[in-house]
Amino acid sequence: MILETKKLVKEFGKLLATNNVSFSVNQGDIHAIIGPNGAGKSTFFNLITGYHLPDSGKVFFKGKEITKLPSYRRCRLGITRSFQITSIYPKLTVYESILMALLSRQRVTLNLFSSAEKYFREEVWSILEDVGLADQAHVNGDSISHGDKKRLELAVTLGTKPELLLLDEPTCGMSPEETESIMAMIKNLVDKKGLTILFTEHDMGVVFGIARRISVLHQGSMIADGTPEEVRASEEVQKVYLGGAA
Amino acid sequence: MEANNTTDKNISWLKSGWWLILLVAAGIAAPYVISEFYLLILGEALIMSLFALSFNLLFGHMGQLPFGQAAFYGLGGYGIAMLMTKFQINFWLSFLAGIGLAALAGLIIGIFCVRLRGIYFSILTLAFGQLIFVIIYKWHDFTGGDDGIQGVFPPEFLKTPIAYYYFVLLVFCIAAFILWRITNSPFGYILKAMRENSERTEFLGIPIARYQLTAFVISAAFAGLAGALWAPFYRSVAPSTLMWIKSGEPVMATILGGAGLFFGPVLGTFIITFFHAYILGFTHFWAIIMGTLILIVIFFLPGGILGFIKEKIDNRKKTDQ
Repeated sequence: MILETKKLVKEFGKLLATNNVSFSVNQGDIHAIIGPNGAGKSTFFNLITGYHLPDSGKVFFKGKEITKLPSYRRCRLGITRSFQITSIYPKLTVYESILMALLSRQRVTLNLFSSAEKYFREEVWSILEDVGLADQAHVNGDSISHGDKKRLELAVTLGTKPELLLLDEPTCGMSPEETESIMAMIKNLVDKKGLTILFTEHDMGVVFGIARRISVLHQGSMIADGTPEEVRASEEVQKVYLGGAA
Repeated sequence: MEANNTTDKNISWLKSGWWLILLVAAGIAAPYVISEFYLLILGEALIMSLFALSFNLLFGHMGQLPFGQAAFYGLGGYGIAMLMTKFQINFWLSFLAGIGLAALAGLIIGIFCVRLRGIYFSILTLAFGQLIFVIIYKWHDFTGGDDGIQGVFPPEFLKTPIAYYYFVLLVFCIAAFILWRITNSPFGYILKAMRENSERTEFLGIPIARYQLTAFVISAAFAGLAGALWAPFYRSVAPSTLMWIKSGEPVMATILGGAGLFFGPVLGTFIITFFHAYILGFTHFWAIIMGTLILIVIFFLPGGILGFIKEKIDNRKKTDQ
């Protein structure tokens, strides 16, 4: 078990965005969180990454409590994330963007006098190859295609060498071909690097195609949790979610 | 591809290295070429350039606009002036203490300011800057109030204008080199990353506020260094060195020269300082001419004058290829 939450609660005014959610993610899994719009997926993500702090409940990472740690500390422990609205560095090159992550990961960022360009050349190129952006290494982040921006964000998160990677709608706004290629890439990363992935996704084809475990959120509560087959078979899930979609 | 790119960079560095060497050579030759009046203006331009470079570490590189930079500049000046005249401490110790005082003030003020972003950061730095100005302005018994402090003399061997000019040139070159190294270091890269996307950067494991604070203190120390150079140069300090108008000078110089390039603020400061000295010879309305020039730059050269020149050179390189 790499991640565990116990009775997490988060309220925004009168809206109960996360209602008593206890769940866990196994090491090396590809775990999806699904649910209709407004089910509380993003809030739940934000509680795990420290973007918001919960009103009550606890979060554990590899057995260590991280409930109140700031985001950067969680990142150093090995949790990082991508955002639903792609979050990259518009005016830095693809190469520089990935370099930022490595500089941070290797803790050399308080070095004031050496030249940053000399660091981690091989590592940056190897990540560029992994995500297929090597030919655009010296292009600015805002000048590449939408699909490539998503890849770039993924590459930047990989630069921090995470153990647990949270992806918020990784295929949002992508064409079917782009979706397929990025999901293949993610699957490859899990197999090759032993990453654990927790992701949210609208596209049920993607979810059932890749996830090994699925949790379903509805109005802030977790109503189902299991293998894709179990979740598909759950009557409650069909009622609130799949029923409408299928 | 990687190898090509690094050699490209080496060549362009060599090229830029040449104009730098030429400029430094011109700086060394200057006392034998120009009149004493313009030598003083040149010294002032160098000190103000250092002040503008300290400002641009936060503005151009980190993406936050501080509007109270004069407080640190003034504290550097008051630090050296008060220690020398009131406590009879020697020049060099007072000089270092002036820088230390500015850095300390930067640390205390920075703790409050770095939590804010955008206009709120600017306004809070302005408020703290004015607070320090008012304290020094009103505390007549201790600071001399609006009389300022006179009789701040450099040591004997630096007393001639030429000797002090060389001292300013040397300190400027060393300080600019250190700042240049910082902007190209991993720390400097993280400042850029915070400018471009602070949320993303926090999720790379960077404690944003702590890095901003470090940059703030460095910036304050270099502003203090500029102030500590200024007081013995001018033989005195006045409260106007801490005022918000003074804080505006590096802002204008940087916008004029170009915030995106390391030497942009230096070019902007040189233009403003020499323009001022020259035009003041025949009209008091120099500010109108300066204002017009800045308006033209903002509307037609958003990257500043140096940014415009670089763009032209880059375009020519592209068409050559």
